[in-house]
Amino acid sequence: MIEFKDVTFVHPTGTTALDHVSLTIGDGEALAVVGENGAGKTTLIKHITGLLKPTSGAVLVDGEDSRERTTAELSKKVGVAFQNPDHQLFSENVEEEIAFALRNFGFGEELVKQRVDWAINFFGLEEYRRSSPLTLSGGEKKRLTIACILSWDPGVVVLDEPTVGQDVIQKEKLSEIIRMLKSAGKTVIVVSHDIEFLWPMQTRVVVMSRGRVIADGPAAELMLQRETLASARVSQPQLVALYQALKNRPPAPFVHVHDARNWIAGLVK
Amino acid sequence: MNWVAGGFIFRRTESVYHRLDPRVKLLLSILLFTLAIISRSILELLGIIAFVLVLSEIAKILRRVSRTMVFTMGFAAFIFVLNYLIGKNLLLSVLYAARFVAIVVTTSLFFITTSPDELEQVMNAFHLPRDIVFAFVTAVRFIPVMLMDALQIMDAQKSRGLEMQKGNLVRRVRNMVPVLIPLVVNSVIRSGELAEAMESRAYGAVARPTSLNLYRSSLVDRVVSVVAVVLFALAVYAFYFVFPTQLL
Repeated sequence: MIEFKDVTFVHPTGTTALDHVSLTIGDGEALAVVGENGAGKTTLIKHITGLLKPTSGAVLVDGEDSRERTTAELSKKVGVAFQNPDHQLFSENVEEEIAFALRNFGFGEELVKQRVDWAINFFGLEEYRRSSPLTLSGGEKKRLTIACILSWDPGVVVLDEPTVGQDVIQKEKLSEIIRMLKSAGKTVIVVSHDIEFLWPMQTRVVVMSRGRVIADGPAAELMLQRETLASARVSQPQLVALYQALKNRPPAPFVHVHDARNWIAGLVK
Repeated sequence: MNWVAGGFIFRRTESVYHRLDPRVKLLLSILLFTLAIISRSILELLGIIAFVLVLSEIAKILRRVSRTMVFTMGFAAFIFVLNYLIGKNLLLSVLYAARFVAIVVTTSLFFITTSPDELEQVMNAFHLPRDIVFAFVTAVRFIPVMLMDALQIMDAQKSRGLEMQKGNLVRRVRNMVPVLIPLVVNSVIRSGELAEAMESRAYGAVARPTSLNLYRSSLVDRVVSVVAVVLFALAVYAFYFVFPTQLL
């Protein structure tokens, strides 16, 4: 479980990036954090791994205060895939790239080999096993960064802006990975302003604006609140906007395009 | 790291010093730099540092120059220890360390108060080849960008269990590899993208492009230049003829 207890973070420049944030994320929960640029989303997740320490308040990861743990210690529990894969890939080949963190965490060589093989197979990177990570395509690099994290099997997986620079097919693959992580019982936190990507996952949503959590609830309820979303410069998913525009509509918003198509086809008949 | 870099990178500030012609700011820094090189006494060097701090206060950058000094102290201490171990001369070792601090603060005064655009104008004034000027100014412009990259890369690698401050000196140097490789690769990619973007915006289409801003020295610039040269001459005279003592 991750708990933010009245967390405020002020940058050395004097800018308040988090302003009295209180939040509890349960084990196995899937959470989407949305908000405009500069809302404090990335600052929030950097607190979970101890990259940033709160100016006031406390962040507890499985009951442990982040101020009393190093990033390396917290990262064993919380794996973060940052936005830009080019900011972490450096090894000679894909195998070594995945093994890097495992060795940092002190895994034995036999276990390192097993985990590397598992990650490579699971993410379909077999043909690139001996290739330089720098030669992979954008989507493959993204998958590799997530493979690197899942290799040490953290309980919490954080994806920071996973859809940036990804085409539709890669986004589909990312959705599948997130669904798989949820079904494996991982706590999944997705930070994104790609609302169309997040909507079909139907997770709990936290809306941030100017360092504050301004709304927190299930996507199906929260995405109906157009004004709340607008105040955080977040647009509604198109399917929700369509749902609200209909006079004769079903009890719950459309989650997938085919739901809307079937409903409208029924109306036309 | 960001805190340290703040002591070296230009940030737009409204002050009398910032408004000076960049060529005058360069002249001031060169004169102070020269004094730091030719001075033979610790007191003289302390006087130069104090003068730079006064100029920094006028330029409203005293805190940032102080950061530069704090950052420099580590290297200065290294210079002091090395010289003391080799030469066994305490005062001479202090002199070398103080000279290093003076040199750094005089140069940082110029870079903190001069924008990359002004720097370009200064270099053009010396009729340096345009490509060299562009490459140098671009490199200066990209320092903050590379710094942000470095911080993000460090965050990403720390999140993969890298403990950069762990182990002996050799281990710590090796720990830098996962940061340096992505930093260099990103810089190379960025420079390629920049070159393409510049070419698509007609860079090099004319041999002598015109400039948006032309610098003309004002009366204040001329007065400051004359006063600076006179003070410099007086300081040199004082260093060699009025206080010809060694070290202290």
